[in-house]
Amino acid sequence: MSKTPLLDQLESGPWPSFVTDLKRMAAKKPQVKDLLAQLERSYQEKITHWKHGGIVGVLGYGSGIIGRYSDLAETFPGVEHFHTMRINQPSGWFYTTKALRGLCDIWDKHGSGLLNMHGATGDIIFLGTRTENLEPCFAELTANGWDLGGSGSTFRSPSCCLGPARCEWACYDTMEACYVLTQEMQFDMHRPSYPYKYKLKFSGCPNDCVAAVARADLSIIGVWKDDIRIDQAAVKAYAGGELKPRGGATPYAKLDIKADVTDLCPTHCMSYDGKKLAIDNRNCNHCMHCINLMPQALRPGTETGATLLLGSHAPILEGAQLSWVIQPFIVMESPYDEFKELNVRITEWWAEHGKNRERIGELILRLGMREFLEAAELPPAPQQVRIPRANPFFFWQQSDFDAEAKGRKYYTREGFDVE
Amino acid sequence: MALSKAELVEHIYKMVEAASGKRQLKASDLWKAVLKEHSELDKKDVQTAIKELIDGGRCVYTYFGGSYVELPRVEAAAKKG
Amino acid sequence: MSERKTDIGPPHYEQFLPPIIKENYGKWKYHEIPEPGVLKHVSETGAELYSVRAGAARLISTDFVREVCEVADKFCDGYLRFTSRNNIEFLLTDKGKIAGLKAELKKAGIPIGGTGHSVTSIIHTQGWVHCHTPAIDASGPVKAVMDDLFEYFGTHKLPAQVRIALACCINMCGAVHCSDIAMCGVHRTAPKIMHDRLRHLCEIPTTIASCPTGAIRPHPDKSLKSVSVNEPKCMYCGNCYTMCPALPCFDAEKGGIAILVGGKVSNAKSAPAFSRLAIPYIPNNPPRWPEVVAAIRNILIKYAEGANKWERLGEWINRIGWEKFFEVCDIPFTFQHIDDYKFQAYDTYRTSMHFKF
Repeated sequence: MSKTPLLDQLESGPWPSFVTDLKRMAAKKPQVKDLLAQLERSYQEKITHWKHGGIVGVLGYGSGIIGRYSDLAETFPGVEHFHTMRINQPSGWFYTTKALRGLCDIWDKHGSGLLNMHGATGDIIFLGTRTENLEPCFAELTANGWDLGGSGSTFRSPSCCLGPARCEWACYDTMEACYVLTQEMQFDMHRPSYPYKYKLKFSGCPNDCVAAVARADLSIIGVWKDDIRIDQAAVKAYAGGELKPRGGATPYAKLDIKADVTDLCPTHCMSYDGKKLAIDNRNCNHCMHCINLMPQALRPGTETGATLLLGSHAPILEGAQLSWVIQPFIVMESPYDEFKELNVRITEWWAEHGKNRERIGELILRLGMREFLEAAELPPAPQQVRIPRANPFFFWQQSDFDAEAKGRKYYTREGFDVE
Repeated sequence: MALSKAELVEHIYKMVEAASGKRQLKASDLWKAVLKEHSELDKKDVQTAIKELIDGGRCVYTYFGGSYVELPRVEAAAKKG
Repeated sequence: MSERKTDIGPPHYEQFLPPIIKENYGKWKYHEIPEPGVLKHVSETGAELYSVRAGAARLISTDFVREVCEVADKFCDGYLRFTSRNNIEFLLTDKGKIAGLKAELKKAGIPIGGTGHSVTSIIHTQGWVHCHTPAIDASGPVKAVMDDLFEYFGTHKLPAQVRIALACCINMCGAVHCSDIAMCGVHRTAPKIMHDRLRHLCEIPTTIASCPTGAIRPHPDKSLKSVSVNEPKCMYCGNCYTMCPALPCFDAEKGGIAILVGGKVSNAKSAPAFSRLAIPYIPNNPPRWPEVVAAIRNILIKYAEGANKWERLGEWINRIGWEKFFEVCDIPFTFQHIDDYKFQAYDTYRTSMHFKF
């Protein structure tokens, strides 16, 4: 009789079964056999059997390893220790089979052979090894050009969409920016010195394929400032049904350009007279809807860069937040000095004022957006708010009066006068 | 009183030792406390000193919801029972 | 011992890019999705890159990775990538090889799809396979839901894409808070204090400090050397258990799954949005969570029937109104639906006459 009658029920059905996959490893690895047995027990009892380990790691680092222990170690000795290793992924999650097999060899030798490609933050996740295997595994990883990613109160492994590697909408080189910033921040990634975690995600356009706006403290989302590029002949081909909407990936055979595109434009900045598509680009809000629907006819402009948004995180503790626009436009080009310097001003301010386990978005809620913007040396801009305040409780600082006296706008300090 | 590099390392170690079992100190607690007394130092000096303690195995980083600098110990979760 | 290498960071991505990508980096002109799971990218130079997208479990073995590598060697000169949702993309330039690749994947039981107006792979957390605070498993419910919605993975039948996510507790490591449909494991009881063990295993000051809502205090009976929990203040995050293994927050009978809907991250048409509570509690019912599977299918079907072209799930609900959503989906409205947590709450109460009976 099977030892895992409940898990066995997850072997049927068309979607790939993790149980089937794990069972085949269990034939080779006793720890996977015990893992399945413990998991079966959780399925019976409807509770977890893991304990959190907060101390194990590799020498010198305070991140990249998550300690995990079974509370049924006597019954299932194979999973007494079952630590996670986070391995920093390459930009865009591209691999050669040679590189992947190399990783598999290392993990078969030093761990359970189970993994995630990839974890929520972006790292390769190796699941399940013993404390004494951590150092040898780490040594072999680094010898082969891999390093651990972030965990704990650190600069977490940044991630990015594949950008210019395969996408016509990339408004900056997400792959390079992600790599450069990851290398730049190695000390802070491996040696926790922040109040809590800090994530960077690079998306090449407002479709935001890596969910930067929801999942990164600092979200870098590509955008253009000039005109959407139009191929009028292709627009006609969409109208005539020769080209399929969204590259063909919809149930709809033919685009009705008025009903499907221009009427749904959130700013109503476009029109179609049956011959020509006209866009009032100064009133476009870069939502991407028209471009998504007609990828052969429309493309983002060529004056490109990114918008910086700050503060998103999952619900712990003050409730989930989406990132707020803090800088409407920044040119993102190698060596990314302007961006790097701003990133340092942000993290320094947060490290100085943040309480334990307080994300940057929560700190801004506590101390106020003005205080943050001034510390980050970012001027006020209407793009930062969806709508101005409705209450009259705004305050004036001496710097405002000084600015006023010098004939500047009420905008605070020198250097902040825009235009 | 200026601290030498070696003295700074010992100073930080003593802070961690004194807090052990009472309060978990973060790296930022350490640099904030040191810089308050020793304005001639900067954050980088303290970070380098912490790195020395960690690299030498005298202190370890721990993670319990937040990350701390602590003395090495056997963790509760690793104990049986 | 040889010099210890640290802080080298990840390998440079360029060494993993197929030649066609290196040659056309930043030069892509447009793309098509000729069939579900197959993307075609065309460069300014006329070069064509095909990507075949395949679904996989998130929890996989090195055996599986090696299997995938064999396929990539055979058809893709050894080049492949993964998407942000655990899909695998096989990258190739020879259109003639697509049919063979698809047949090989089919033989291996690896489904092809996840493009355009589909239900693509569910992003999720670790659950009972690895996590210390989950209310539910993760891989199990995901497998059950994907089995049920399988027809939507390899087709483009829906009004828009539908992104599903699962987090096994309210810490939401999977960041499910902006998904069209999100499953979230919920504990509903405060930690049980095991006084005998706590004394030996845990440091009291650090345990108290671990509670984000300040619900943990030293136990009034000093001789116990333990703590007490102010239960009404507890939000079941499990952080105290992280610090102290004598404070488990699990309750086999009361734990379960909440369903949140209507979130998105893209900016297309409407702004990025949070998922909102649709069903506060469904019992935890392994191994196949049939009530959860049925609830998600129900919402998906009602959406597919009711939404206009191009409408995401949340856009559909915003158009018809939430009161209508609860009616159409036959979901009871409860006190749990009315937000009373911190600063976001006031923003959700209705201040207009714009509603339906």
